[in-house]
Amino acid sequence: MHIHKYEKWWLSFGAAMLVAFLVIVGVSAFHNGTHPNNSKWTINYEKVDEIAPFNQPGVHKVEGKDWDYEVVLVASAFSYNPMNIEIPVGSKVKFIATTKDVIHGFEVAGTNINMMLEPGYVSEYVTTADKVGEFLIVCNEYCGAGHAMMYSKLMVVNSNDSSNH
Amino acid sequence: MANHKKSDENLKGTLYATFGLGIFIIIVWALCFNLFIDRF
Repeated sequence: MHIHKYEKWWLSFGAAMLVAFLVIVGVSAFHNGTHPNNSKWTINYEKVDEIAPFNQPGVHKVEGKDWDYEVVLVASAFSYNPMNIEIPVGSKVKFIATTKDVIHGFEVAGTNINMMLEPGYVSEYVTTADKVGEFLIVCNEYCGAGHAMMYSKLMVVNSNDSSNH
Repeated sequence: MANHKKSDENLKGTLYATFGLGIFIIIVWALCFNLFIDRF
């Protein structure tokens, strides 16, 4: 079979790109952990308030783990608990979140933190907050009449500032 | 063959179009990926 020289070029180019992108996606998913929540942690969504750690929502400093802070967050129609999250810049944070009623979203605008919160499941995301700023947290799964009013705030602050509080 | 050289020339535009599109896709992809990597 005769294949034109130029055709060989773009077929090779296309095949190389396919391999390159698949390698990048593979490394991102399996090495860097960029994938949807694995849903290994289930919970009785009717008793979220009684079950640890969701009986104490908020920011918790932890020792001896791969991350410095745990942000425990409960979503319900139409709000987040806690309303404001404050963490020092540069700290490694694990977000642990679930919902008490319907499906909610947990998107921190301007970052890669974007989780779906499903009743009965706990969603987790670990990241290092390396930029100072105020980030709006929004619900990006339509959850009902108050969906548009459902928001919260993530504040990444300089360590010195937070010690004054 | 007599037609062979002619078809060589005819594929030049296709080559530019294909690689042009390919490079455009790679640049746009790289910009998006950079945004993703840059954010926390």
